[in-house]
Parts: sequence; structure tokens; C-alpha cells
Amino acid sequence: MTAYVSPFDDRVRPEQPLAQRPAELRGLRVTLLDIRKNRGAEFLDRIESSLQSAGANTTRETKEIFSKPAALDLIDHITNISDAVVEALAD
Amino acid sequence: MAGSYQRSERVASGLAPALAVSGVALEPVTVESLTAGGSAILLFVNEECPTSALAMRRLGPLCQGWAKAGVSCTAVFEDPLEVALRVARRCGWTGHVVSQPPPYQTSDAYGLVSVPSAFLIDRGDRIIASVTGWDQAAIELLIRRAATLTGTSLATPEPALPLRKPGCSSKAALDPAVAAAMAARPDEDEMEEMFERGWTDGLPVVPPTEERVAKMLGACLGHTSLGPVPPAMGEATLERLAACAVLAGCRPAYFPVVVAAATAALDSRFNVHGQAVTTQPAGQLIVVNGPVRHEIGMNSGMGALGPGNRANLTIGRALRLMIELTGGGMPGALDRSTLGHMGKIGFCIAEDEEVSPWTPLHVERGYAPDQSVVTLIGTDAPQSISDHRSRTPEDLAYILAWAAASAWSTNWWPLTEPSVFIICPEHAEMFRAHGWTKQRLREYMFDAVHKPAKSLSRGETTPYVHLSDPDTEVYKWASPAEIILIVAGGEAGRYSAVLGPCTGMGSQIVSAEVDPR
Repeated sequence: MTAYVSPFDDRVRPEQPLAQRPAELRGLRVTLLDIRKNRGAEFLDRIESSLQSAGANTTRETKEIFSKPAALDLIDHITNISDAVVEALAD
Repeated sequence: MAGSYQRSERVASGLAPALAVSGVALEPVTVESLTAGGSAILLFVNEECPTSALAMRRLGPLCQGWAKAGVSCTAVFEDPLEVALRVARRCGWTGHVVSQPPPYQTSDAYGLVSVPSAFLIDRGDRIIASVTGWDQAAIELLIRRAATLTGTSLATPEPALPLRKPGCSSKAALDPAVAAAMAARPDEDEMEEMFERGWTDGLPVVPPTEERVAKMLGACLGHTSLGPVPPAMGEATLERLAACAVLAGCRPAYFPVVVAAATAALDSRFNVHGQAVTTQPAGQLIVVNGPVRHEIGMNSGMGALGPGNRANLTIGRALRLMIELTGGGMPGALDRSTLGHMGKIGFCIAEDEEVSPWTPLHVERGYAPDQSVVTLIGTDAPQSISDHRSRTPEDLAYILAWAAASAWSTNWWPLTEPSVFIICPEHAEMFRAHGWTKQRLREYMFDAVHKPAKSLSRGETTPYVHLSDPDTEVYKWASPAEIILIVAGGEAGRYSAVLGPCTGMGSQIVSAEVDPR
């Protein structure tokens, strides 16, 4: 059999389990992450109102630009201040 | 249940030998890791064996359910890992996949004479049961014993003919000369195999044999990494990049240019991540400057943006294959481009520095004229600009500039990302004859294209237009610096071209020097 060199990186990283879903919203610290996609902020405004009505404590954070992964510092910061995150992905 | 030829003392004593295998996980695969949930089933197989395929097809769909009950199921291939993954995928195998290299030490340690062979191992490393060949009743018994070990019930394969089928020789039990003869399979169509492996952009590719990749690498060290390739972050080792260059059809002499292009593309300032996944059509234009253009026979003349030149076409294709295959940015998968454009197959041009009246692109960007440099620019597809009748440089500059008025979108003014103008030699000659510098042309083009904000307010427009007084003149570009001028094309004909920008990505133009070997 001919031996080939694969262009793929066949290694896979261990699957990360989903975080446990909160049982209720009251008192929950929720960060709303605006990725700066067009009109994403408007969508988050509505979500934020609903969350606050349900008793959640909300915080808004913003990515540098929608087309790049979030900076690690921002991810760390959100991890430290939040129980849950809502991210508006696209317009 | 059938017995097997016992060669290993450990097997003879009922204990599972250690595994000398590799898988896709970053962690080593051990008996302990596989039995951590309760117990493990090892199914030894190889690609050539129809009974192995039968066993994988019958058991493969059940593996995921068994794993949830604490019974891991692993196909142990006597084939290279990439072959193993392909065969497993084709057979619907949902368990782990591992591979062992010749001389198949693990098969030998388990005393294999044939495949498929299944072993049930408990958490104490004890071999509880084994089955050789396909034997429906024996397999059901093995699965029931696994269920007993974990205290659960496990699904068994639906009985289907054949209920029994002998296996094939394990490669560990073959005479090396016989194994070599079996490995030679001249009837296979390796071109079709490349499609089956998914190693293609949709066009036929050159199979990346170890010999071809070694020639492509030359003195480069294959394990050297250029970093992760977005969006899936596969690592761009030089060996993988060389495999992409072979697939693309590059000659080894092109590889330093491919490496420079990959280096520039992976510079975070270029943001290939955003470009690779966007719904925009954006492709990655490679502009080559300096002596390497002539050394590898690039075309900067007739048909410079079209077909006909191996270096131009394959260098651009190699970069795209790196993004698509190593980086996972394949259209329809992580590449979400609505339409794309043909430049996403490969988009590489050489500037005609000898015909150009101006400073070449790489010198504008701070390199010496005798340096060979690639420059990466995220761009849309080319739009041709025909002008055969302008008689002054002012008129020609006006025509060229206004051709870009609808670049990106009709009323999207100003553009804050670069538009690339490929100026053909006859148009360039007009500017040379009248003593126009590149900067003068750039500034004239910038000044030429403007409209009052009120005429740009229909449909989609920019926040800048929205915020402007209706009578304020808005320019097409934010500054003259957004106009990139490159000379290329055939000596006859008055057709230049403009390539619109990739917008909203924060993508910068990035250059990298070609490392002479």
C-alpha cells in the first residue's frame, strides 16, 4: 500500500462537557457578550430586559471585533464574574 | 467463542498486554484508560479484510451506546491511522480508532493469527472473553458478559447472514515478504482515493506520497510548525504544508514561496480566521515580488490573473488547501461563504516590476528591491476595467477609480480596507509617459470618486453616511492609502482590473520574505 502524508491534523482535543445549566435565573450573574456584529446590541438589549425581569443580574461585555476569537483576557474576566453567558453571534 | 494462538505469556495468563498504538486523542491510549468506565472491547481489524469490515459494520453503530454504559469499544487497526480513520468512517464505526505500525507489536502481543479478533477486558486488565473471526453467537455472548461486568444491558447486533465468517490473516502473523506483496495493489486508482480521503478542493490533486513530500520539503524540517491554522486550528507543520503543496501540484522550487505565503497568512494581523469562515466571498490574494518570480518562472504578463502558469496557479492553491484541509476551512463546512469566488481555489500573481514605471509593492512596504517577498491581501474577485480611449492620464485615472465605485456595495462609502488595482502595461505606459508617480495616481483616484451623502443614502449604506450632513461630499475610500496599485498583464490590450476589499475583518496587508534555500 502506498504511504501518503496527510494534510489533516488528525489529532482531536478531548470533548469539553457542557457546563451545568442553571436551575433558575433569579440571582444569577449573567454576562451578555456583544461581538460587535451589526445590530447584535439591539438583540442583547431585549434579552437583557427579559433576564432582569426574571431576577438575573446582568453585565455587558464587548469583543474587539466580531471576526476574531475573543481575547483570552476577556474570556478569563467573563469566567470570573459570571454564572452564565449569552453571546449574540450574528445579524 | 474461539480460542486464538497464544504467543504472549501475558495473554496465556489471561491478562491483557499493554497497547503500543496511537489514536487521534492527544493522550496515550492504554488498557487502563479504555477500561476506566468498567470494561473495554478491543476489535483487531485491518483494511484489507472483508470480515473486519463486516464486524465493524455490525458492531460500529452500537459502540456509542455501549460507551454510555461504561464499555468502551476500540478498533485496533493494523494500518496507518489515516487509513484507519477512513475505513472506520466508511464502516459506520462509532467507537475509538487506534493504529499500530509494522511489525504490529500489539497484535503479536495478543497472539493474533487472524482479524477480526475481539477481546473483552475488565478493569483488572483481565481478558474475560475473546472471539476470532465473525461469529454472531460468540459475539453476543461476549457482549452479554460485558453487560454483566457493568451491571447493565447492552444492545447486541441484529442477527444477519452470514452468522459466521472466517477472518483473514493478521499482518503480525504474515511473512514480511508476503505482507509486502499484499501491500502492492496496482489496480487502485489513487486519484480517486484522494477524493475519497477528502484531500481535495474539488479538483484532482497530486497524491502526496512520502517521496513527493520529502522532495517538496528538501532541507526543511517537517516537524517545524508555522502555528495553528484557523478556523479548526490544525497545526501547520512544514510536512503538512508540503503535503498541501504536493496536492496542489507545486514543484519543490515553489515551496519557499508557499512557506512565505503561509507564514504571512497565519500572521494574526491578516486575520485569516475571519476570512476563512465569513459569508463574504473573500479570497487571499498572494502578490509575489522580487527575483524569485523569475527563478520559478512565474507569469506577470499575458493572462496574469488567469490560467496557464503552473507556479501562479499552484502556489495560490497550496495556500488554500492549507486553509481548507489543515485548517478545516472547507466551503460548506466551516467556510460559510455565500458565493465564494474562483480566486478561492488559488489566487497568486506576480508583479511585473520590469514593466512598471513605479516602485514595486514590496519596496513600498519596506523591503529591498532584490528581496523576494510575498504580500497577502484579502480581496474580492477581479472586476475588469476596459479603457481604450482615454487620451490623458487624468481621464484614465478617473475611469479606473470610478470602476471601483460599487466595490463591496453600491452605497458603501467610504471603504476603510484596501482595493487592489491591477494596472495593465498599456495603462501603466500612459502614466509613465506623463511622469505620473504612483502616489500622484493614487491621490488623483482618491480625489476623483466622491458623492454628496444624500445620494448615498438609499438602501444599505455606512454609519458614516448616516451621520453626515446630506450635502457633505463622501469619498469612496477613507484615504489614498486604501488604493493599492500593482502592474501586471499582457503588453497588448487596455484592460486593468480592480479587486474589491474584504471588509469588517480588521484584516491588514501582511508581507513575508521568501527564505532562499
